[in-house]
This record gives sequence, structure tokens and C-alpha cells, in this order.
Amino acid sequence: MQRRTFLLKTAGLATLSFTGIPSTWANDAADTPRVLYVLLRGGMDGLTAAPPIGDRDYDQIRPTIGIQKALRLNADFGLHPALGTLHRLWGEGHLAVVHSTGFGYTGRSHFEGQDVMQTGIMTPYAVNSGWVGRGMERAAINSGVAISIPMPLILRGNTRATTDFPNWMPMLRATDTDAVKKLWANEPLLAPFTDAIQLANDGMQTRGMGKEAFEDAKSMRGLARVAAAQMREDGGPRVGLIDMRNGFDTHASQGAEKGGHADRLRDLDTLVASFKEAMGERWAHSLVVTVTEFGRTAAENGTTGTDHGVGTCCFLAGGLVTESKVYADWRGLEKRALFEERDLPATIDINAVYAKVLERSLALSPTQITSGGVLDFKPHPALNGLFGLG
Amino acid sequence: MQQQLISKFTRRVAFGLPGGQSLPEDPVAWAMSQLRSVPPIDILERDGTRRADLPADMKLLSDMDEVMHAFVDHQRIEKESFEKAKSLSPREYEAYRERTVGTPYWRLEHWKEVQARETTALFGGAPVFERFWHFWTNHFMVAPGNQNNDTLIGPYQRALRPLMMGSYREMLWQAVTHPSMLVYLDNNRNTGPRSKAAREKWTTDSINENLGRELLELFTISPSAGYTQQDVEGTTLILTGWRDMKPDKWHKGQRLGTYFDFDRHEPGSQTVLGKKYTAFFKPSAKLEDLVTDLANHPATARHLAHKLCVYFIDDDPPAEAVAKVEAAFINSKGDLPTVHQAVIAACWETIETTRKFASPETWFLQVLTLAGAEPPRTIPLTREVRGIKTPYLLGDLGQEIPRCPQPNGWPIRSIDWISKEMLDRRLRVLSVIGGEERRAGRSLDMRVKVSMAARRDLSPESPALPLFKQADMFNDLRLGLVAFFASPDILWS
Repeated sequence: MQRRTFLLKTAGLATLSFTGIPSTWANDAADTPRVLYVLLRGGMDGLTAAPPIGDRDYDQIRPTIGIQKALRLNADFGLHPALGTLHRLWGEGHLAVVHSTGFGYTGRSHFEGQDVMQTGIMTPYAVNSGWVGRGMERAAINSGVAISIPMPLILRGNTRATTDFPNWMPMLRATDTDAVKKLWANEPLLAPFTDAIQLANDGMQTRGMGKEAFEDAKSMRGLARVAAAQMREDGGPRVGLIDMRNGFDTHASQGAEKGGHADRLRDLDTLVASFKEAMGERWAHSLVVTVTEFGRTAAENGTTGTDHGVGTCCFLAGGLVTESKVYADWRGLEKRALFEERDLPATIDINAVYAKVLERSLALSPTQITSGGVLDFKPHPALNGLFGLG
Repeated sequence: MQQQLISKFTRRVAFGLPGGQSLPEDPVAWAMSQLRSVPPIDILERDGTRRADLPADMKLLSDMDEVMHAFVDHQRIEKESFEKAKSLSPREYEAYRERTVGTPYWRLEHWKEVQARETTALFGGAPVFERFWHFWTNHFMVAPGNQNNDTLIGPYQRALRPLMMGSYREMLWQAVTHPSMLVYLDNNRNTGPRSKAAREKWTTDSINENLGRELLELFTISPSAGYTQQDVEGTTLILTGWRDMKPDKWHKGQRLGTYFDFDRHEPGSQTVLGKKYTAFFKPSAKLEDLVTDLANHPATARHLAHKLCVYFIDDDPPAEAVAKVEAAFINSKGDLPTVHQAVIAACWETIETTRKFASPETWFLQVLTLAGAEPPRTIPLTREVRGIKTPYLLGDLGQEIPRCPQPNGWPIRSIDWISKEMLDRRLRVLSVIGGEERRAGRSLDMRVKVSMAARRDLSPESPALPLFKQADMFNDLRLGLVAFFASPDILWS
């Protein structure tokens, strides 16, 4: 589809009503999918997270920061040693890795890239809705929750998502929330939130959270638990989002097995482990999906780091994954195989991966996804079989 | 009725008036009088004097030499710390980073600027001016970025204040060529592919479109003008070579601040919006001409008029209001005091039928103003200092100044500030603010101010009024704060 027609359709989305569209999971059942999207802001280095151990050029272009002790996936690819949980999931048949993938956007700007990764539209700042939010609206699903203070762009475009984030401030009392209900009774933009606010303040803790409890609640483990506590419930949000705001922008001294990039991957691994544990039986019908704005340069730079690039890898972990596999159209790391002779290319359009996620989790057909203005993508044969889909 | 409209107007163009203070008889004159001169900015006490208990070396830098020295010091310290990583244990390294980088540059630097911004808005005597300044710092956003630019942000934003007395062209020129902007949007790396530096391979830098694109998209004509990628590329080439000059090893006695590097500039002529820019003898003049043309472009007047009206009037501002501001912009050739006056007049003319849900920062300042409170006083001299720090409290509300995530600034539409979590936090922060005042022994004063403000500002049909009639209301400050500040009359202005 042409970008212009797609944008026109997308722009009209806010005014369309999809309430009449039937959903496969009209009522929440025990096997209704749950998807946790994890935003990895800063640009994750795919060649560190899932090193191509079988590529003969890898060690040469990354003499200092190359991963030597990768956890083996297959003859061609490994995982960074900080990703132990993901490696165990691989053994259980529940980890898919898509490599050399990325957005069609190649401007290498964080700001634009983070807009594009959320809107799903390759022109930065073109729309005010996100591809997950539009997908939810198209599928008319009940709710989503962003573990965030503002509503992130990626979940905008529907009226059913809410926000939740650990808060140290003392809770409101019943007298306060009752007063708010009265005050906002005739306020259409505010009234929908009063029940959720009352629920969030319906606790014993009235003096505010201590510093340590608050730090723990804000940790990756804590945030994963906040998300899972809601998503595992019957009728709970089918879509969750955690925003890892900092740390993947490793221009200098990014380290290898240890170091700054390794620490961020450990955060991601902790998040997946905590989410899996907290989801309990629902994990069998759950999926954790990573979203990052771009990858990084293939070769290390002069400051033992990597600069903004294009292609990277994407992790899909959870019970919804039917087969552990690396999906890639790998062109090698020789200079001429790289995008503009410097970046890992995006040989698979990552929007095609995300379209599969929407297809599996929201029961939307590829046609509904494109013609419904949810997400425009270039299909790739290498993705056949992902989630057991054609 | 008239009382409530005036009160709404004082919150719309400023932060309201303290409880107990009477509303101006002529609200437009009241607002206009605050735009005639540039109020000084500093970390202030309630009486408007500079706060006395600040560390002796804490000051707001304005002199460009001092600013660029602070910038280069920060960059050097960051670089040194990467070296240190090799010889220190992770724990020692963390402590070292905290002491050398975290405390001075991530915490204190932003604290002093934010504290100055908030206390000047409250106690500087010209809140209307401050509201407009907040608009311009948001319009020409510079936030902490990749190049350790923390120390450049405050000086740059404060440098916009006197420019509010001049033309938009001049403000645009100063903002775009300020080292803070050139660094934030990576224009210091924007190098012409046919420049001497590129041809002779002095640098691996090449074209960087960040600033070029924002100059068209955010600062002037906006995408609705229908420019093309070729226009972005032409603008970017005209911007090549415009860099920051800092006192590092490459510095050879040039003036610090902004520098036009002829050797990185793309030679020849470039075309933007169908006009060819050529200046063989003075290539830096190409940007001067382009900025002039863009500032005077009708699409810029339209874009700015609309943005100002969305910011000050309504997410969907009345067309006549936008038209009046646009006409003021065009007729005055972008004279900002004239434009500001037009915005104020349009605000008052439409006050009855329009409304805004303020950003967290604006709302926070409204609460402090109306309740007669002040921002938390804690100075974060180290990470261990306990107490509430203003920038983080704003972050808890969803707007950690100055850490704006995108160069397009904080959202200006009401709708972007309404989420369950953000609403919950606005309610909960009231007891935090109340607690700070109580610890300072001012709870009685706050009670009196809030009840007087409620009597003055709430409409007779406000659902908050019955709550205030409850007998225990005066004793329950928390409930009083919620009833007043969560009432629709006050949440919307």
C-alpha cells in the first residue's frame, strides 16, 4: 500500500467506530492471549543481544566488544550470557528470535525512531496513535495497561487502555475518592477514570511508600509484577506495556559479557523471568515482545561502543511461541552486505513481525491489519510458521 | 459570573491569584502590564528576593564564556570517567560517577534551573510573562540529550526571555544558532559532503538532518505547508558548518559559543521552497536569509497562531481567535509583544466558551499560587539528601522538567495530560504539598487561602461547594485541597 493512502486511512481511524466487530475472544477465557510489549529505548544492539556466532566476520569487526561466551542457540546464533531466562525458554520451545530486522525508517534519530516504533508509520510525527492501540481498537478488545505515568504513544488510538505506575505518594482516603466521584460526575473526559482511581487507592498504605519499597516497585522485577498482577486476572488487560527508558544507547564502552549493555540485557531477562513467574498458568498463553527504535552499527566504533544503526533483533518469548527458532534473512557482516556499508540491514520488516503478533493475539487477519489502518507491513517468507501461523 | 470568568482568565494566562487577593477589575490590562519588560529570574523566596541558603557557588550562568567552559568541563569529566572504569571496581566506579557526574550535572544543574523557573513563576511578580516564556521554551525545546548538553539548557532557555520583546525572526535566529540547539539536534556534526572537511577526510561526519527538519517542521512553516524532502535537504545543507565553539584543544582563540565552520560548510547554492540561496563571499549569510524568509512565511504565521491558540485557548480553538493572532503576527511582521497581546485579547474574548486542562507543571504552579504554598525547598546536594526535590516531583506528575522526551516539546493539548495515572497523581500530590506546608508551620495560612480562593473562584453551581459546606471541612485540609483543586472549575481553566 502507498504510504499516503495508508496515512489517510489511519487518520480517519479515530472517528470510526468498531464496536460492531465481533472478536474471537468476546469473553475472556483462560486461553485468551496476553501480550506484554517492552519498549527498549535507545536502540538495542542486536549483535550483542543475539550474537551471530557462526558469522566469520563477527570477531573481526568487534575485537573488543564481541561476545565470546554466548549461550548457544544454534550453529549460527547465540544469546548474550545475561539472557539466561531467555535461554531456558529456548530450551522449552518458547523463544523466537527475529534477526536482522528493523523498521523501514533509516534516519537514525532517537526521537524520530521512537516515534516511528510506536506509530508504526515510517514518517516521524505523522499521527497521534500507536499500532498497538489501533490494533486494540480494531479488535475491540476490553483493556490494556501501560506501566507508565503518561499514556505511551504506542497504546494510543483506543479508549480502553489505562496507565499504572508505582507511586510513593500517600494514598487517597475513601472520603477523598468519594469527593472526586461527585466532582467529576458530569465530566465526560474525567469520569471514566474515577473507578480506577478508587481501586488504586483502595489499600492499607496511607502514609506513602518508603524509599526502599518504592525503589523495589520501580525495578524491572517490580514493574513486571505490577503488569502481571493485572494481566493474569480473568477479564484483566490483554495488552501490557513496560517502558525501559534508558540505557541502550551505548556509544562508548558498551562492554561485552559485562558492562553497560550487559546490565540492560540482564534487566530485560529479569523482567521476563518475573513476568513469567507472576503470570502463573496464564504464561502458557502469554507473549513478551521487544520493541526498539533501531539497531546499531555493525562494527565497533573508536570508543568501544556502537553508533545508531538500522537492523537489530527482536525477542518473542512465552507460551504463544510454538517453536524455538531464529527467523532471519541473514546477509552476513561483510561491508558490502551492510546497510550503507555500516549497519546491520533490516532484511525483514519488523512491522511484519508485529503484524503476526497482532494476528495471533488479537485475532486480526493480515487484511484487517493493513486495510483497517492498524499497521502497514512488507510480508517476508522467512516469518512463515511464527506462532504456528502461515 | 464575571468574577468566575476573570478568575478563569487569571489561571489561563498565568497561574491564578493567591486566595484572599482580589481579582483585577480589568483582566486584560492586568495581563498586558506584565509583558512590558523582562523580569529577572533567580531562585526566589516568597518575598521575591534571592534565596539566601543556597551554596555559595550556585549561580545561574549566562555569560557565554562561562557556559561553554562548564559544557567542556562536563564533557571532559564524562570522558575521564570512562577511562576510570578500567581501574575501579563496579562499586567504586558507581560512587565515582555519582560524585563527578551524577551530582553536579544530572541533579544540581537541573535542580537550580527548575527551582529558578518555578519560584520566579510564583514570586517574580509577572506570572503572565512566565507563562509565555514557558510556551517559548517548549516551542524551541532543548532537553538533555546525547552530547552531555545538561549545562547548556538553562542558559539557553533564559536567553530566550529578552527575545520575547523583539521579533519572531530574531528569536528564531538566536534559538537556531545557539550552541545549545546546535548540540541538542546534532547540527555540530552536520557536515557538507562536498565540504573541505569531507573531501579531505578530516571527519567521518556527514549530513545530519535533525535541525534542518525541525527548523521547517516545528519552528516555522510546519508540514501543513507541504514542503518536500528536497526542502529538508536544502535546509540541512545551508545549516552545514554551524557548530558550537568550546574551549577544547581545537579552539584557536575564536569567540566561544556559536561558530560557522567554513570548512564543513557545503559550498555552492541550495534551494529551499523554490528559492535559491547563494552567497559566495559570505556563505553564512545563506542561513540568515533562509531564517528571515521562513520567519516571514505566511505558513509560519498560521502555524504559530494555531499553536499559541491551542496552548492558551483550547485544543480546538475558535477560528476567529486564530485568525486574529495570525493577523497580528503578519501585520506586525512577527513582533512578539504584539502577538502576545493578541493572544491575551483572544483568550479573554473566548474565555466563556473555551477551556484548557493544564500541563502538570502549569497545574502545579496554579495549586501553589492559589494555596499560597511554595515548591519543595530541598537542595539535592548529594543523592542521599532526603526530602522532596522539585524536578522529580514534577516527574511524578508526568512532566519532569527539563527531561522532555522529544524535540517537539511537551504536549500542548489537554487530552494528552489525562490518564488514570496522571489524574491519580494530581490528587495525591495535594497531600504531599499540604504536608510540606504543615512541616513549615503554615497549614493554617494554607487553609485560609484555599477557603478564600474557593469562595472567590468557584461558580455557584460547582459540585465542590456542597463539600465546602460540610462542617469538618475546615479541619480536614486534605479533603479541602481535593475538593477545591479537583473541582472541574479549577482543573479546567
